[in-house]
Amino acid sequence: MTRLSSLRSALDRKGYREVAVREWRSSVVLEGSLPSWNDRVAAGFVAAGFKYKGVVNDLEVPGLARDRWSEPSLRDGALEGAHFDVVIIGGGIIGASIARELTRYDLSVALLEKQSDLAMHTSGRNDGMIHDGFGARPGTLKARYNVRGNRLWTEDARELGIELKRPGSLVLYPSPAAHLLRPLLSKRARANGVDGWEFWSREKVAREEPALFPEQHGALFLPSAGVVSPYKAVVAYAESAVLNGARVSLDTLVSGFDQEQEADRTRIARVRTNRGTCFARAVVNAAGNWADVVAGLADDRFFSLHPRRGTDAILDLSTGAFLKHIVSMPSFLQSRSRTKGGGLVKTVEGNVLVGPTARELPGREDYATTRGELEELNRHLRLNTRLSPSQIITYFAGVRPCTWEEDFIVERSQQVANLVHAAGIQSPGLASAPAIARDVAALCVDLLSESRQVRPNPRFEPRRQAPTSLGQLSLEERSALIAAHPAYGRVVCRCEQVSEGELVDALHSPIPVSSLDSMKRRTRTGMGRCHGGFCTPRVMEIIARERGIPLEEVTKKGEGSRLLEGPEEPADPPATAPQGEEVSS
Amino acid sequence: MIPRTRWEVVVVGAGPAGLAAACAAHDAGSRVALVEREARAGGILKQCIHDGFGVVRFKEKLTGPEYAHRFLMMAEERGLAVHRETFLLSARRENGRFVLVLESAGQGVFEYETPALVLATGCRERTDRQVSIQGDRPAGIYTAGLAQHFVNVQGRLPGRRAVILGSGDIGLIMARRLTLEGVEVAGVYEVKSEPSGLTRNLRQCLEDFDIPLHLSTTVTEVHGKNRVEAVTVARVDGSMRPIDGTEQRIACDTLIVSVGLIPENETAASLGVPLDPVTKGPFVAQDMMTLVPGVFSCGNALQVNDLVDYVSETGETAGRAAAAWAKKTEKDEVGEASRDPRRLIAVRAGEGVASVVPQFLDAGGERRAPVFFRVKQTMRQGTVCLARTDGGSQVHRRRHLVLRPPEMERFELDLSRLPEGTAEVRLDLAPVEAKRAGAEGSVEEPRKAVGP
Ligand SMILES: Cc1cc2nc3c(=O)[nH]c(=O)nc-3n(C[C@H](O)[C@H](O)[C@H](O)COP(=O)(O)OP(=O)(O)OC[C@H]3O[C@@H](n4cnc5c(N)ncnc54)[C@H](O)[C@@H]3O)c2cc1C
Ligand SMILES: Cc1cc2nc3c(=O)[nH]c(=O)nc-3n(C[C@H](O)[C@H](O)[C@H](O)COP(=O)(O)OP(=O)(O)OC[C@H]3O[C@@H](n4cnc5c(N)ncnc54)[C@H](O)[C@@H]3O)c2cc1C
Repeated sequence: MTRLSSLRSALDRKGYREVAVREWRSSVVLEGSLPSWNDRVAAGFVAAGFKYKGVVNDLEVPGLARDRWSEPSLRDGALEGAHFDVVIIGGGIIGASIARELTRYDLSVALLEKQSDLAMHTSGRNDGMIHDGFGARPGTLKARYNVRGNRLWTEDARELGIELKRPGSLVLYPSPAAHLLRPLLSKRARANGVDGWEFWSREKVAREEPALFPEQHGALFLPSAGVVSPYKAVVAYAESAVLNGARVSLDTLVSGFDQEQEADRTRIARVRTNRGTCFARAVVNAAGNWADVVAGLADDRFFSLHPRRGTDAILDLSTGAFLKHIVSMPSFLQSRSRTKGGGLVKTVEGNVLVGPTARELPGREDYATTRGELEELNRHLRLNTRLSPSQIITYFAGVRPCTWEEDFIVERSQQVANLVHAAGIQSPGLASAPAIARDVAALCVDLLSESRQVRPNPRFEPRRQAPTSLGQLSLEERSALIAAHPAYGRVVCRCEQVSEGELVDALHSPIPVSSLDSMKRRTRTGMGRCHGGFCTPRVMEIIARERGIPLEEVTKKGEGSRLLEGPEEPADPPATAPQGEEVSS
Repeated sequence: MIPRTRWEVVVVGAGPAGLAAACAAHDAGSRVALVEREARAGGILKQCIHDGFGVVRFKEKLTGPEYAHRFLMMAEERGLAVHRETFLLSARRENGRFVLVLESAGQGVFEYETPALVLATGCRERTDRQVSIQGDRPAGIYTAGLAQHFVNVQGRLPGRRAVILGSGDIGLIMARRLTLEGVEVAGVYEVKSEPSGLTRNLRQCLEDFDIPLHLSTTVTEVHGKNRVEAVTVARVDGSMRPIDGTEQRIACDTLIVSVGLIPENETAASLGVPLDPVTKGPFVAQDMMTLVPGVFSCGNALQVNDLVDYVSETGETAGRAAAAWAKKTEKDEVGEASRDPRRLIAVRAGEGVASVVPQFLDAGGERRAPVFFRVKQTMRQGTVCLARTDGGSQVHRRRHLVLRPPEMERFELDLSRLPEGTAEVRLDLAPVEAKRAGAEGSVEEPRKAVGP
């Protein structure tokens, strides 16, 4: 039986007779329609079992409109005619870390992001965990990149001034018999190359993590697991890239490529955007949940993504006192399960974060939360006797970009000579980013070297000065700073103790942004227990003053999200549309 | 070195409670520092431009800023300076005294040391997340206090068509305020089966403006990627869970949440002050001293008040007592005074009573003690009775025509009526038996509808 006919009968056995299958290049394409999203997902997973290069799931679900990306309405010519050695599509952790890696070379690099700020999608909506690498299935790219990325985070965090903590992760045994699995656990840790692991008795767990529920049975301890602030990390990488000569263009949507035929392959000559068409010698697809669509723009959609939503809750800062490690209690028997199942994480800021959940849902940018998903998180809260749902100060959802094979794609395109994909970067994508970035940069250098020698950037400065954060200073240093710059002595956000000086710094940083949410991501204003109830007016006034705009033009998260009524927002031409931020050094 | 100044009393927060406390402590002869993190004193009153403040104290209907102004003048007359834009970074105990680490643009980081600390830090608002509203996260979701600030302080409108969640006084007042400013208020939704605001506000803020009030209904979801486009409302069952099938989509561009206030007690908690899980404020005796000797609490930090007059009253009590404490512990350099000298009698909230403040009575303290309480449910014709828990004699008894949870009640207790050796008293509420109703002496007037 051929591979295709085996797949056919597998689908038939599931009752998916109406699904049409065909091979296309090295991939398989599913077409037709199925009654529900769950069926569509199930069919995708069936196809993934047949070892094609990729599964292109084009099945439709009646009544469900095609998912569309959000687009900036800005139209200008900021990029028109510009020449770049590398154009990177997507300003998440992957795109930003790749941009910074590429500035180690003497190359002109542009990072294009369709939103009004970086990290507005998955990279700003996750657990911030630098996984140890134990959870990934041995032999996968995920396992390899995770372990390498985990190690590289130490160096990158130091150079970029990113706060990285390594509290280690406690994986609690779900039953008293689980300690029998120790040899298996060791084998897996060894196979993945995890940096150190220990088995802790229930007494040791109780001693080291006293607030845990008393009925635990001991744990596997993974000391290399860490946490960072994910959105601050993205900003740090991108700022470093800008300081080393890269250009970051926000509000910039890549909508197409002009390609040239070249023997058996094609080559992207120009990248079309709403801000003009630019030239690129190499293109990196780091478009997160839209990476398959972007690949399709180059006629290289050999895979497809399915969005998997995760919901997290954040507890009051005071809860940080009750948790020292990252804690989870997964079922070991589900070694093939598609998520790590979530748990309790203490964020770098010290709040307890609970989650994430995992749900297959159609919207790639749908971050709506539901009561049901939030209630699912209670099972993690029960792991710790001092935590309860009443301590929740906020919750959010993010969407993982998953391939049907459930692994990362980090490779040069087989069809397009100058395209590199960093796609399907689901969890542990944040942990893996430094390693993925190095490999993607190396792939770009390889392909650029085919036409011209690539030299190192003699002016590359690995260190980035982290923004001043008063909380990190001693009282004496703080006082001295205030004496020199009184704005640091005016506290704007009471819950997180953020000063006016820190806000002004963020507004004049290498990637200046000006929405309320972008200020949150950089300074944490409004992220505390009052959730902006008190500081919002002040933050808005400071943004308006520093940007020289009327108060009513301050937005929550860019275009269309004004906070106050003002003179009508003219629909066309968008005179008051967000100023696409354009940065280069 | 961080410069340090010694004070006899430090008051944190210059709202009506803190201003009253500082004036009272000054009048009792103490050297007082009053610190306020905002640029202007007056606390939340600065943005409450409606009238109805001060009916009890001044027998006048003042606006919030006018009421605050009277206290500011009192402070000024006494030469009391408010240390504005001064932020409290942390507080700790040192030899029975308190050391506050403060920060301001002009002075950098500095410390105040004091034997008596009055916390008058007010409250913050509960947010949409704390009532589990789901769906999207667009611009256009504001707490009522934030919306009030936009409108009354900054002179801006938050939107054009608003839905208000919560029928507490701030929500009701905002419904009227927004309507007057030309914002269409699509409706006020209240999850409980009874409105939470004062009757007067229901009439003057909703009925007079034909704004519909929907009881037993809540907002479950917000829709809109960038700006609010609509909300889903649903009826709730007896346990306040949304009932499937009752959902309705209401188009609006603004959601105002007015779902309660939480006393701000992070500083108190950091000093180990035990908090009442019901009021979310510290446990205090009639002198407003918490269970950590030397730390006092008043105003909205102590419990959420609906009448500012009571806020000032607890402020004054705290200020006076703080000054007395400072005098008493003047010569104490080793922290002897950190032992609580009071003989505390516990006051329990009994049948039908949600909360009582003070939660303790100092048997050796002030004889006349105001007692504040809230009931759990509305009751018509009820008798409130404070008695020894062991079934002993009644110390206070009063009949009320109607008691409602949103309205904080107050009575004055004469401690001399408490028998020697009392360890605990309890406040109970009981319906007046039908046959006896009217037979007993004087029936209290229902409380005058005052304040917002
Ligand atoms: C709930 C949750 C918890 C998680 N927790 C962890 C964790 O603890 N640790 C961990 O390692 N990983 C975690 N992950 C996974 C991690 O967040 C992702 O792997 C990572 O953020 C992916 O980064 P990215 O840059 O590929 O995608 P994104 O951050 O989504 O960036 C892609 C960007 O591309 C832009 N874009 C798309 N199309 C275009 C276009 N045509 N033109 C211009 N721009 C475009 C998008 O706007 C977007 O900003 C979690 C994920 C979720 C959802
Ligand atoms: C948003 C909102 C709206 C309200 N609207 C009404 C209304 O319309 N009508 C009504 O009768 N009541 C209203 N109230 C109730 C009102 O708060 C009380 O009646 C009264 O004003 C409380 O006085 P206070 O002094 O205890 O607190 P506040 O007035 O809140 O004053 C506390 C002060 O302490 C300061 N402070 C707090 N922490 C610190 C610190 N760490 N360091 C320095 N300074 C600090 C604050 O900046 C503030 O100025 C409202 C309350 C809120 C929160």
